[in-house]
Amino acid sequence: MRRALIPHKGYGIGDDWVFYLLILIMLSPLLVMSTASAESGKNTQPIQIPNPSADLWREVRQRDAIAVGNSQVKSADSGVLINPYGDKWRNFRMTQLIPYGGYLLAGMLLLLIIFFIVRGRIKVVSGMSDKKLFRYSLYERTIHWCLAAIFLFLAFTGLILLFGRSLLIPIVGQEFFSLLASASKEGHNLFGPLFAVALVLVFFRFVRRNIYQKGDLTWLLKGGGLIGKGHVPSNFFNMGEKSMFWMLVLVGGVIVGSGLVLVFPVFGQGRVLMELSHVSHGITTLVMIVVIMGHIYIGSVGMEGALDGMTTGYCDLNWAKEHHEQWAELCEEQNEVIMEDEVSRLQGDTKANSMPSSLTQETGQ
Amino acid sequence: MIGELIDGPLWYFAFGVFVLGVIYRIISILRAGLKKDFSRPRAEGSAGALRTLFSRFIPRRDVATRGRLTVIAGYLFHLGLFALLIFAQPHVTFFSERITGFSWPALPYWAFIVSAELAFIGLLLLWLHRVLHPVTRLLSSIDDYVGIGLVFLVMLTGCLALAQAFEPLRLLHLFLAELLLIYFPFSNLMHAFTFAFSRAYTGATMARKGVNA
Amino acid sequence: MSYNFAKGIEVLDQQIDSRIEAYFSSCVHCGLCAEACLFYTETSDPRYTPIYKLEPMRRLWREKHTFWGKFLIKMGLSQPLKEQDFADWETLVYDSCTMCGRCSMVCPVGIDITYMIRKEREGFSAAGYTPVGLQEATKRALTIGSPMGVTLKTLKAALVHVEKSTGLKIPLDQSGADYMALFSSMEVVNFPEYIESVARIFAAANVSWTISSEAFEATNSGIQIGSHDAAKEIVSRVVIAAEALGVKYVISPECGHAYTAIRWEGPNLIGRAYKFEVIHILELLDQLQKEGRLQFTGKTDTPLTFHDPCQIVRRGGVIESPRTLLDSVSSGFVEMTDHGSMNWCCGGGGGVSANERAEDLRLKVFDRKKQQIESLGVTTMVTSCANCRIVLEEGIEDREMDVEVIGLTELLAEYLMDNSTPAA
Repeated sequence: MRRALIPHKGYGIGDDWVFYLLILIMLSPLLVMSTASAESGKNTQPIQIPNPSADLWREVRQRDAIAVGNSQVKSADSGVLINPYGDKWRNFRMTQLIPYGGYLLAGMLLLLIIFFIVRGRIKVVSGMSDKKLFRYSLYERTIHWCLAAIFLFLAFTGLILLFGRSLLIPIVGQEFFSLLASASKEGHNLFGPLFAVALVLVFFRFVRRNIYQKGDLTWLLKGGGLIGKGHVPSNFFNMGEKSMFWMLVLVGGVIVGSGLVLVFPVFGQGRVLMELSHVSHGITTLVMIVVIMGHIYIGSVGMEGALDGMTTGYCDLNWAKEHHEQWAELCEEQNEVIMEDEVSRLQGDTKANSMPSSLTQETGQ
Repeated sequence: MIGELIDGPLWYFAFGVFVLGVIYRIISILRAGLKKDFSRPRAEGSAGALRTLFSRFIPRRDVATRGRLTVIAGYLFHLGLFALLIFAQPHVTFFSERITGFSWPALPYWAFIVSAELAFIGLLLLWLHRVLHPVTRLLSSIDDYVGIGLVFLVMLTGCLALAQAFEPLRLLHLFLAELLLIYFPFSNLMHAFTFAFSRAYTGATMARKGVNA
Repeated sequence: MSYNFAKGIEVLDQQIDSRIEAYFSSCVHCGLCAEACLFYTETSDPRYTPIYKLEPMRRLWREKHTFWGKFLIKMGLSQPLKEQDFADWETLVYDSCTMCGRCSMVCPVGIDITYMIRKEREGFSAAGYTPVGLQEATKRALTIGSPMGVTLKTLKAALVHVEKSTGLKIPLDQSGADYMALFSSMEVVNFPEYIESVARIFAAANVSWTISSEAFEATNSGIQIGSHDAAKEIVSRVVIAAEALGVKYVISPECGHAYTAIRWEGPNLIGRAYKFEVIHILELLDQLQKEGRLQFTGKTDTPLTFHDPCQIVRRGGVIESPRTLLDSVSSGFVEMTDHGSMNWCCGGGGGVSANERAEDLRLKVFDRKKQQIESLGVTTMVTSCANCRIVLEEGIEDREMDVEVIGLTELLAEYLMDNSTPAA
């Protein structure tokens, strides 16, 4: 199957860009707060009666800096008796990551519902036609859905691990939750490296079509046609989709990296590195879940004709003209438009006993 | 109480159905009979049978290219599954206690995990290919999907129980494995045994004609 | 045409032996057979997946020989095989399959799909769901003696022509000769050069041979349509004549399915071993050359390639002889990338070329052969099956290519080193 090679178009993910900004805005208090708490020392009241061991304990407690001592046990961080950041990290997780993360996810869900109520399903203005364009090969669809399935499983188990204690224990009780958490942890850890593999495959396959081009900025400035009527011309992937791709790759890279540090604690990682990895893993994954929620929305319910490409491999010509105009034109120029019943034949939907009509029209070619 | 059922009677029942079912299926294949071949052979059939039994593990050049996703994912899944099924420590313990009476060397833990990951990605890719490729979608029946589904669930629950700290998780895994054993002889999962027969029959017939198939 | 659904089911069920039971038990629907099938690769139509062509037989196996099949039928949750299924599958079984055997070579669990198609056709022909062209060819074969209607008179006329141009006498009904030669109707009608070449070669090699006026036809349309009775009748004529003449060998000519019929299926059709041996013409020529009885002089340096007839090479086992012989008379022989036992079918075997309804499909799938030839850049193709020859020539004409097709025996005869016979 040949396709127009250069700039293709995809289905609109553009709305995510507005939400990225929202996310950044929502995240900034988090960042501000964590840096603030890191910097502010505790205001301790000077003790009236000098404690003869104060100096000793001050050093042990290591309020000012981490001092490494000697220990018979030889392993990572074994010379550090008490890690001062541990408490800060724990507080961050309990009082900020979990609640704000929860608000973020709930907020995104709410936003999508409101968007759907207000804007409705974005229809193909000229209606679906009987002409199709070949959009995604079998390999591309396979690795996309592989990545998607693994991501969903990791998100599901990851959310159980993050929110379970606060949300699930009240419902299922402590004993069952410990079983659930153990299962989630094992599943999450096993499938993590598979996500890395799938991400690499997706990266190499789609990177060429995601290079930013002329026209992308215009698309962005017009809000991708998301706000208000009218569509904006775009290539195989529009600006929003390209940005989501790069976000997936870069943020995904951090997720994978931090995840690998966390799941293989046998390479001498110290506590601080583990804490940092955990924090980055937590924040980046929540960001990614929010973005993917938008991706899933627009690819299924949110837009008519969007899902077809990634399931059947073919998308509607009118849909392509409206959302990925330049790519659709390129395909038309190169005579790559396929009729609906030819697509049907290729899918094996014709009855067993009928001869394909296209064959009888074949000339020596 | 349910745990005792799963560890006890249900296990014996499932294992029994599996063993007797497999034997029954193989016997019915053999009983269908083969007419004698009166043509003069170029070579002995038995040598060809043995040859083809092993040569089909290596796909032909052009099919290996056209069907490379199936070949690669197929091997990832099968090799991963066999490694973990037969050589993972919890399984070695299980088999030696309940079936064989003797044990054998097990894989180190990290190798067990790697095998599991290869098996999972292989199975996931194979299932997606089955659903997305027009040929396999046309051919596939409920039997195929139930078989894949059960195998996946067994693998998944095994993974979930990896910490080996919660009885309910282990029992869930065992229970699903028992369902799989009961389902096995009446499905095309039987290919695990019958492939030897089909390869051998074809290999013998083709060798008699003087063709290395 | 009369249909007999009940008979079709009965015959189809009788075909299910250990091999077929093992095969259906092992198929996991991986779809790799499609990647080897000419009809799938050139049309991308998933219905041409080889194992899919066997659906009617699979469903019968399932409903009669498996637990779930029997159970679901009894529960009324599954439908038994219907007459409409025969009607629906006729084109898949006859138009889009030449029984070329490529699928059987690649199945990971070793299923011989080709064998199963052959057996499935038994059911279809008993039910009456076969292509009109094949039915008529078989009728002619049974009543006249040749699927193309070639009579003894036609053959004798051709022989007279050969005798005139070679100056040789063609031995007819010679009792006690070593070899009895068969010919396919296609050769007699379209490529009589084959008969002439054989006559000259046998004279030069001093071969004791004969033709039987009772049974000279090699083609067996019973094999193609899938009728055990017709196939048996046609083979029996050859066996009776050969055993009556007391020959040591019967020579199968340059015709694909003829070889399969007489060499591999024949004894099983009549239920006993022959009192003679079957040898393919190429095997014989190879043997004669090795014995020094057949010598060639000169070689052609034209770049050429060889199209392997499926039934002779992959399904017949005559793989090396054509190559050894070609090397003796050609210095520019290049193999196709997929050659020998994995070469691609011409698209017209197994009865497809006798089936007018399948013509468009057959011409379409010729693209594969076209691509094989073009990637080599040759304009000459040698083959050793008269049916392949005509099908290839039709494909070449349809695709407006400039390629010449030559018969191997004919080519060999051109380079015969012989002093006794005046040149043709």
